[in-house]
Order: sequence, then C-alpha cells, then structure tokens
Amino acid sequence: MKLLLVEDEPALRRALFSSLRQAGYVVEEAADFAQAEEKVMLYQYDCVLLDLTLPDGNGLDLLRALKSQGSPAGVLIITARDALDDKVAGLDLGADDYLIKPFHLSELNARVRAIIRRRQFQGQQQLVFRDLLVWPELAEVHVRGEQLTLTKKEYDLLLYFLSNPGRVLTKEAIAEHLCGDAVDAADSFDFIYTHLKNLRKKLQEKGADNYIRTMYGVGYKLSNE
Amino acid sequence: MKLLAATTRYYLALTTLLFVLGSFGLYYGVEWALRGEVEEELQARRQELIEKVQAHQLTSVAVLQTLLVISRQPKPVGFSDTLLLDAQEHEQVPNRQLTFPLTVPGEGTVWVTLRKSLVEADDLLGVVLAVMLGVLTLLLGGVVLINRWLAGRMWAPFQHTLAALRSYDLQQHKALDLPTPAIAEFAELNLALTTLSQRLVSDYESLREFTGNAAHETQTPLAIMQAQLEQLLQIPALAEDDAAAPLVAELYGATLRLSRLHQALSLLSKIENRQFAQAVPIRLDQLLQEKVAQLTPLFDARELRYGLDIASGPVIVQMHPGLADSLLQNLLQNAVKHNVRGGEIGITLAPQELKISNTGAAVGGDPSRFFERFRKQNAASESPGLGLSIVQQICGYYGFGIDYFITEAGTRHTLRIEFSHTAAPLPKRNAEASRPTE
Repeated sequence: MKLLLVEDEPALRRALFSSLRQAGYVVEEAADFAQAEEKVMLYQYDCVLLDLTLPDGNGLDLLRALKSQGSPAGVLIITARDALDDKVAGLDLGADDYLIKPFHLSELNARVRAIIRRRQFQGQQQLVFRDLLVWPELAEVHVRGEQLTLTKKEYDLLLYFLSNPGRVLTKEAIAEHLCGDAVDAADSFDFIYTHLKNLRKKLQEKGADNYIRTMYGVGYKLSNE
Repeated sequence: MKLLAATTRYYLALTTLLFVLGSFGLYYGVEWALRGEVEEELQARRQELIEKVQAHQLTSVAVLQTLLVISRQPKPVGFSDTLLLDAQEHEQVPNRQLTFPLTVPGEGTVWVTLRKSLVEADDLLGVVLAVMLGVLTLLLGGVVLINRWLAGRMWAPFQHTLAALRSYDLQQHKALDLPTPAIAEFAELNLALTTLSQRLVSDYESLREFTGNAAHETQTPLAIMQAQLEQLLQIPALAEDDAAAPLVAELYGATLRLSRLHQALSLLSKIENRQFAQAVPIRLDQLLQEKVAQLTPLFDARELRYGLDIASGPVIVQMHPGLADSLLQNLLQNAVKHNVRGGEIGITLAPQELKISNTGAAVGGDPSRFFERFRKQNAASESPGLGLSIVQQICGYYGFGIDYFITEAGTRHTLRIEFSHTAAPLPKRNAEASRPTE
C-alpha cells in the first residue's frame, strides 16, 4: 500500500510519516504543492493525505488535478479547524474523508484503512486478525468460524483496534472515535471501560485469545504477538 | 427634554419676565409723565389767573364761581388727588386738583381749586397693556416657530450624525463616513467622530488579525505535540514502563485539553468577528438525533435516562452548519457534565424552541452567571467552562433568545432556546440570560 503524505509542517510530517510506516504503509512525503503535484503526476498512490493549506498553493487544486487525471487514489483531507468551508468544498470535489487538525494518529490510521478498503475492494474484503474474521461491509464478526453478536459501539471499537494492530490507543482517541468530536468530560472514559469489558467478555466466551491489552494509565493495545 | 425645548423654555421665561417688568415700567413712566403734564397745565392756569388778577382783568368772584371752584374759607394748599363724578359717563373719575389762595382786589383772599381729569391715564394703561401683550404673544410665538424651524433645518446634520452613530457597527469593519456640514460645531463633531471611528476600526482590525494569527500559529504546534506524544507512546520500552507511561499519557491528555481550549476560544472569537456568514437551512431535528446517538455512550456511562422529543416534526433553522453542530454539542455536553449519576436529561424540540433540562446538584446563584467564560461549578473540573459561553454567543449571533432556569429546589436545570426571537445584534456578555418566570 503506497501513500502520499502532503504536509508542509516538518515536525507534523515526521510524526505522521513514522506512524503510517508503523502501520505498514509505504509512505512518500511532499512538503509543498509543487512536490506533491510532481509526485502525483509521476506515480500511482492508493491514498493521498492532503493538507489543504500549503505554502505555495491550495490543496484543493491538487485534489482537482487528481480527479481530472482520473486517479484511483483515495483522498483524505487534513484541514485546520477554522477552515470548515474548505472541508465542504473538498468533499464536494470528491475527497473520501476529512480529518480536522489536531487529530489522533490512530484515528488517521483507521480512516486511511477504511478509505483503502472501500477503494480497492469495493468494501468486499474480509479483515483477518489471528482467529478473528471481520466483514466490514456486513458488520459481521466471526471467531473461529462462529458468529459474534456485538452492539454497534462494540463493533466500532473492535474495528478501531483492528485498524491499529500493535498500536497503543489512548483513552482519549477511543472516546473521540466512539463519541465523536470534543468529548471532554474526563469521567466519560468510564464508558470505554464498560464497552471494552463487554467486548472482551464476548470474545472470551467464543474462545478467542485475550489480545486487547490494557496499558496502565495510557490506554489499550491490540496485541499482535 | 430636547435641547431646543429647554432653551426655548428659558427664552420664554426671560421674555415674559422682561415684558411684565417693561409693562409696569411703561405704565408708571407714562402715568408719571402724564401727571406731570396735568400739573404743569394746572400751574399754567394758576399763573394765568394770578396775572389776570394783577392786571385787574379778572371778573368778579361771583362770576368766577360759576366757572371755578372757589371757596372763601381757607383750604389746604397744593396738589392733591380726588374723585369726581363725571356727569357724562356717570362714574367716578380720578382728578388732579391744585388749590391756591388768590387775593382779589376788593374782595379779599379766596381759595381757588383748579381740576383736571386723569381719566386718560386709565385708558393709557389699557392701551399699553394691550400693545405689550400683543407684542409679547407675537414674539413668543415667533420664538417657538423659529426654534421649530431651526430644529428641523439647522439641526438636521446633527440628527444625521446621530442616526449614523446609532446604526454604526464595528463588526462591519468600516469607519464612519460623515459629511461636513456648514455649521462649524457640527463639522467639528463629525470630524472628531470620523477620526475616532477610523481609529476604532484600525485597532479592531489589528486585534482581530492578532487573534487570528495567534490562533492559527498555536494550532500547528499543538497538532505537532499531540502527534509526537502519541508516537512517543508507541515506543514499547516507554509504553511498558509503569513510571514513564502515565507521565506521557498525562502530558498527552493535557495537550488535548489545551487544544480543546484553543478551539473553543478561537470559535468564540470567530463568532464575535462574525466569520460565519454562510447560513443554510439546517434540519435541527435530524442533527439532534445524530448528536444524541453519538453521545449515547456518555449517557450510558453515567447511567443517565434521557428523553428526546422531536415529535413536532421537522424543525428547520437557518444557521451555519458548524455553529449548529457546536450549539447542540455544547448544550448536550453541558447537560451531561452537570448531571448526577443516574439522573435524567429531557430534550424537547418544537418549531419555535429547543428545551434541554437536566437533573443536577443543587446550585445557588444567578443563572445568568453560568454563561460567563471560564465559569465552572467545580473548580477542579477539567473542562475549561466555555460551553455555555459558546451557546450564548451562537444564540446572540442568530438572535435566538436564551433562558436558563432552575426549578425543583435547584436540582433541575432547564435551558431554553427560542428560535424566533427578534433578530438582535450580538448581545453584551452576560446580558441575555433572564430570571425564571415560574
């Protein structure tokens, strides 16, 4: 899987780059509009992560160029919070999804994974993780051939873990993923615990290994060891 | 009172006083002059008589007596006033009389009294008063009329300036453009106001720019911090370390709080700067359903029972989508945050109003203070306390009315938003909330 990361801020680009690499992608970087334009012309990517505010141009123009080329690449727009209207314009131009800065890297992974899945296999792909089998399009989960009945939130939670195997997911990132933006009540982390407890119980009942590990004080991790 | 009415009032008072004094003065002056004239005439007649006596041309006293009042007995000598019956007009008429002794050769001394009617003086008073009153009336009427005319004409530039000031809105980022009227004072006023507004606009602009830049520049380092800290947590040696991991996690949490605070503040300043011009019809009922579904895990976690009543059908409000989202998010979050475990949330949406009520700890104090920035019920709370300020700003922006009331001994809080409130300009901070009406 090959990604193009277009972000002008070096430190942020490095963080995104290493996170995406850890997730197993081949990542190329572009620091400005000109570099990005050149790379888009020369190579094929599965997904382009596009920051809209670039020093030498507007990311929306790059999006237009991609679409006019008929590129099969998925586009994930990364936008500043104060550019709500850009976000709308981007989606209208055919971007697949958007993320508002600042975001959780685990959320970025989940979004990228979802875009690639939708693009390449029209959603008809199954996710395999150890003894788990998931059909994202059908929202069905099988453990060792047996179907697992999950609530919507439990399913979302599981899919979020599966998008970030081996990655430490912070409580905050999980809470925002499940509850949307701006969950700022600290005690709301209780609900993650509740959902996680139920998910683990259901997995164990079907005989799955306990691969969701608690990272003390930090969050949780889907262990792939 | 209008300035003109006030000055006119003083003018009128002064004029009336002067006219009263003038009338008195004129009356007494004329009367005095008249009396002098009468006395002079009487003196002249006396002189004539005396001269006639000396020239021996005087007729006998008996003849004289038919023409003059003559007494053979001594009488007080000199001028005096007396009332005599006027035979023609049948009324008492004031007279001035002069009595003097006259020695007539052969007949000894007689006392002659000469009289002249003062009746003209009364007529004079009548004429004086009539003229004065007439002039007074004309003058007063004239003053009032000319002031009216002045108000309409001379003060027109002032009224124009006033209207321009009244409709002036700094948020439009334009200085006042006032004409230079012919009257020097008004021209000066307009010049001063124009200069003032230019300064205001440039100060406001630079402040806005500063806020905007500060917000934008803060955003990037915050995003970097958040991303790098998250990456730091991925380092196995650190994530497995019981001492280091919680430290990084706390740092990470604090960064998130900081960036939320930053988002809230820049949202507030953007609303104040009216940067959300684009308004589209928003299906509030759908959005509300979405938001409630999103927050259901939060409700569950705190064992809150909630009721969502959108039975009154689709509710469409013209708003910026981002602000509509923020409004509902903050309202719902507020209802969760200040709730008690096992409490309730009631959400009712009607075409005209949205009512969100929640159970909560008993609180005292003025509900309008809940809208203050950084206002927290619990000082240790991690939330910055900007939620209700944002709600208030958004409502103010769209001219919605807000009511906050507390019932059931302080344990039930209800926030009501009225959509069809008169479209008012941005309210002053803390001014919008009103007391409960029940």
